[in-house]
Amino acid sequence: MFDNRNSLQKSVIIGLLVSIGLILHVVEGMLPMNAVVPGAKLGLANISNLLGLFLFGFQAGLQILILRIVLGSLLAGTFMTINFYFSLSGGLLGFLAMAVVYYCLSSCFSIIGVSVVGSVFHNLGQVLIAYFIIVSGGIFYYLPFLLLLAVPTGLGVGLVSYFTLNYLPEEGVYA
Amino acid sequence: MKKIFDIMTFYDKIFIIAVIAISILILLYPIIFNRYTDNGEEYIVIRSGSEVVERIPIEETYDEKMEIEVNGPIGTSHIEAYEGKVRLYEAPPDDPLKTCEKTGWIDKPGPSIICIPNKVSINIEKLDGDLDGVSW
Repeated sequence: MFDNRNSLQKSVIIGLLVSIGLILHVVEGMLPMNAVVPGAKLGLANISNLLGLFLFGFQAGLQILILRIVLGSLLAGTFMTINFYFSLSGGLLGFLAMAVVYYCLSSCFSIIGVSVVGSVFHNLGQVLIAYFIIVSGGIFYYLPFLLLLAVPTGLGVGLVSYFTLNYLPEEGVYA
Repeated sequence: MKKIFDIMTFYDKIFIIAVIAISILILLYPIIFNRYTDNGEEYIVIRSGSEVVERIPIEETYDEKMEIEVNGPIGTSHIEAYEGKVRLYEAPPDDPLKTCEKTGWIDKPGPSIICIPNKVSINIEKLDGDLDGVSW
């Protein structure tokens, strides 16, 4: 009985995180960040995976990430296009890096550091997949700009996640 | 602002500083070495009439001077390429205006050296530019 209740709560919270991530994903797509550097984004949707990773662990975070990317690209009408592969590659590499840092180096890095690592690797993944799509070394010209932008956006996402985690109850809800 | 620094650990700051330093280094790399390292591959293309006579990767001209002779209807045009630049330094004596000699060096895609009497044209082409395919 108690187990059922816990897993139900877990599913509900994961669903909520997916929907929060979706809304952030869609809202973020409307922000004209292309004026700064083409392809630059705030990475707000990363808040939901980061929370999922910290609350429930690797599996739930990966679930949230993949559901969010697939549903978000369906909403934006970019499913199975280049944008979708950019999101997926960047998201997966960023999430894997975050998980490695969170599990192996959690004594060294705070949530802000994990978030910055995630956003840096997100950009690396996107630039790598862009390199494979248009086989041109010129794409790496963008890398330093994207990396420089990844630091403040990662800091912002990390701070938001930190304060959100502080407001959530510590024990009992998360199995 | 003080609170951010309280939350961040020592390694967070190290990581952030390392990322900033690496990206600034990558940014400065082409400026320091003064080469088009981040562009696509550039080729010097020399045409006689409409057919391509020579197609030289521009990297080959950085270290040593290359001299190419192209024969056309009124004589031989002497072309040299060095340090990523190319010029036609001696037009045939029969060339009335020698415009191609006066064009001087070209070092990037866009301008071209054209010698109409001898039907020689030289320009620099990029196989894939750094901006042409980028839009998302």
